[in-house]
Amino acid sequence: MTSLLNIGKTGLHASKKALEVTGHNISNANTEGYSRQKVNQQTNIPVTNDGVLTGTGVRVKSVTRVNDRFVERRLRDTMSNGEYHTNRSDQLSQVEEIFNEIDNEGLNKVLNKFFNSFRDLANQPDNETVRSVVRDNAMLVVKDFKRISSSLEMISKNIDNKVQRDVADINQDTETIANLNRKIRELEAIHEETGDLRDQRDNALKSLATKIKVKTYQDERGNYVVTSPGIGTLVTAAQRQPLKAYQFDKSRSSNGVDGATEVFYEDRPGQHITGNISRGSLEGVLSVRNGEVEELKETVDKIAYNFINFVNAVHKRGFVGRKVEVDANGNPAAYDSKGPTSGINFFKVPTSEKGAAGLIDLSAEVKADLSNISTALAPNSPGDNRVAIAISKLGHERVMDNSTSTLEEMFLKTVGKIGLEAGKARLDAEQSEGLLAQAKSIRERISGVSIDEETANMVKFQHAYEASAKVMQTANEMFDTVIGIKR
Amino acid sequence: MTRVSEGSSAASLKYSMNKAKAKLEDLQLKGATLKSMTRPSDNPVSNVEVMQLKSMTKDNQQFLRNADFALMQLNVTEKSLEQMTELMVKAKELAIAQSSDLYNPEVRENVSNEVRQMRHMLLGLANKRLGSRYIFGGFKTTEPPFTSEGRYLGDKGHMTLEVSKDFFVQTNLHGSEVFYVDEGFDDKNDHPLKDFQELKQKSAKDARQEQIREIASEESQIEGSDKIRKRENLFSLLDTLATSLENNEPDVIQNLLEKFDTATSRLITLRTRVGSMVSSIENSKNVLESDNIDNAERTSKLVDADIADLFSELTKQQEVLKTTYKSTQGLISQNLLDFMR
Repeated sequence: MTSLLNIGKTGLHASKKALEVTGHNISNANTEGYSRQKVNQQTNIPVTNDGVLTGTGVRVKSVTRVNDRFVERRLRDTMSNGEYHTNRSDQLSQVEEIFNEIDNEGLNKVLNKFFNSFRDLANQPDNETVRSVVRDNAMLVVKDFKRISSSLEMISKNIDNKVQRDVADINQDTETIANLNRKIRELEAIHEETGDLRDQRDNALKSLATKIKVKTYQDERGNYVVTSPGIGTLVTAAQRQPLKAYQFDKSRSSNGVDGATEVFYEDRPGQHITGNISRGSLEGVLSVRNGEVEELKETVDKIAYNFINFVNAVHKRGFVGRKVEVDANGNPAAYDSKGPTSGINFFKVPTSEKGAAGLIDLSAEVKADLSNISTALAPNSPGDNRVAIAISKLGHERVMDNSTSTLEEMFLKTVGKIGLEAGKARLDAEQSEGLLAQAKSIRERISGVSIDEETANMVKFQHAYEASAKVMQTANEMFDTVIGIKR
Repeated sequence: MTRVSEGSSAASLKYSMNKAKAKLEDLQLKGATLKSMTRPSDNPVSNVEVMQLKSMTKDNQQFLRNADFALMQLNVTEKSLEQMTELMVKAKELAIAQSSDLYNPEVRENVSNEVRQMRHMLLGLANKRLGSRYIFGGFKTTEPPFTSEGRYLGDKGHMTLEVSKDFFVQTNLHGSEVFYVDEGFDDKNDHPLKDFQELKQKSAKDARQEQIREIASEESQIEGSDKIRKRENLFSLLDTLATSLENNEPDVIQNLLEKFDTATSRLITLRTRVGSMVSSIENSKNVLESDNIDNAERTSKLVDADIADLFSELTKQQEVLKTTYKSTQGLISQNLLDFMR
């Protein structure tokens, strides 16, 4: 009868434990990354009594979390991919917005305006007002080249900031993982349950996976290792390798731009790993910074450089729109009170192709005096519009890419390309969103808490608890009966 | 059997609702702008085409303005030529009348005054201004091209304007070719880009344009070039007439008659040339205008949203969202606990 009491007690204990776990599950139903737990119970070791093998009740073997590490891994990889595409798409949509001329003015429109204002000037080369319109339109071109150049620069800088923040986040995550590794080890050494801590570690891993692709494994000594493909080990058991992001000068950056941020291991500053980062938000933004933005900068610089040089080359041939003294031999004076009478640059001569778009400006002469805008091919010919026409024709001339495309075609090709890239990135992002939702859903199906299920379990365990109590009560009554015999 | 947990159903709800809403948002934006594109990536190829079309349209608008400007110039030139012709015809009539011995010196003196007056008028026409510009000055448009002695101070510049892509038209006649004797017609050598080697387009298109130009000036060329090699300066012609009237020299006047004829026919030839320029500009204007309509149509096709399509899609998507909400209701608002009380 003592054994009956004991059996009832084990049942009571097991049911209580199961109810506890059910309660824990329910209260964590909405905890991010929580894996539902379940009680693993087992029959107690049977004993032989009077030659009969008798059961001794139930035993709670362990409480484990329901979790599939392959599903977790797939979720992490999907997250890395998703973040890569989403971040890339976000950045590219900012980039394409610079070239969006559907509803607003852009370089193509102002360039067109510029060339057409020269056609206006060709109509009335002797009209001062038209000259000032030409100068204003040229100013618009200058402004727009600068706008594009500085917007691209700004995007690049924003990406640099994001890289800094991401690297800081990565370090925090690796620290969390290292700490959790230590705790889990300590607890497992004394056979404590570690499901909740493992969930937390998985969470930190997921957070890490949004920044870079991660891989985990247990090495031969049972150390939990976190690595990132292309970079190397980030965490080994309780040890971690912090990363660092730093702004380098031009000569040492991977995109050849002043002040670009590079990533490296904190203890190995000489070895940049920026180019090796794979997936996650970091590669997403870096691929835009070192790819599209860089390429666009180059193209826009090239367009600006060629535009400036071609306009200047033609403009230099012209003579100023004011009276020029002619000497006895019929040669025009090379200088007058307002400066040279011919060979004037319209735009400031750029020092190099690189950065030409950002540094474009009108020449000092054109800024100083409208009559320095030269339209005539001969001195003292106010009605001569040949230079103005020649400049206006530059817009139609195949001057770029070994005389295969016009300035406009070159620019449009670039716009088309960035549009395609942005569209592709957006599609990828949308698609990966779907994949992520799917991966999450699979994970939740396995590890997520179902209130309905828990409710049913609760009822089940409660009944078991009541029944076990009944068993004990029965044992008690049996004692009473036995004791009552004597009375 | 698939297990459903709170998390998995919430995730699928979020995803489907987000998707429906994102689509609706995109459609709303298109409905608000009535454009099928709001950013380049919506349709990169069309976007580029539209940008190209827009520049073409802008160019065409500019060419139309150029054409109007050229027409104004040429019309004024033609008017002046017409008046000159009238003057010369009248002078010739006077000369014919005075070439006989019928009139006495007093009358001739008076007629001579009339001729002087006509010469004055001719000088006025020669120094004709359009706005602030002297139209017969070649490139020297800001100073009177003719002195009172009838000496030409301008140059032989021909102003050309682009009235449609790569089609340049001459918009002025310089004083030298209008008033001077030994001037041939030089109209083929003034392509405005000929002095810019770096801009030489050696394309078929250019050759074709060249052809059009030739055709345009052909009629005038036929009568133009050879026949009228010798021609009098209009001023000196009138001067000679006036002087010989004063000096009472009918023989000299007689000799002048033929010169008046050539001068008049020269002026008429010039007018024909101006007329053919005007008609070629008018032609290109018409082409440009119909081009613009085509461009606008193409642009609209590329950019503007198909309204019927858009709004039926919008309505459909609204329905989808509503249904999503409805189906959500059953999934999240109830659980087993509701049935266990």
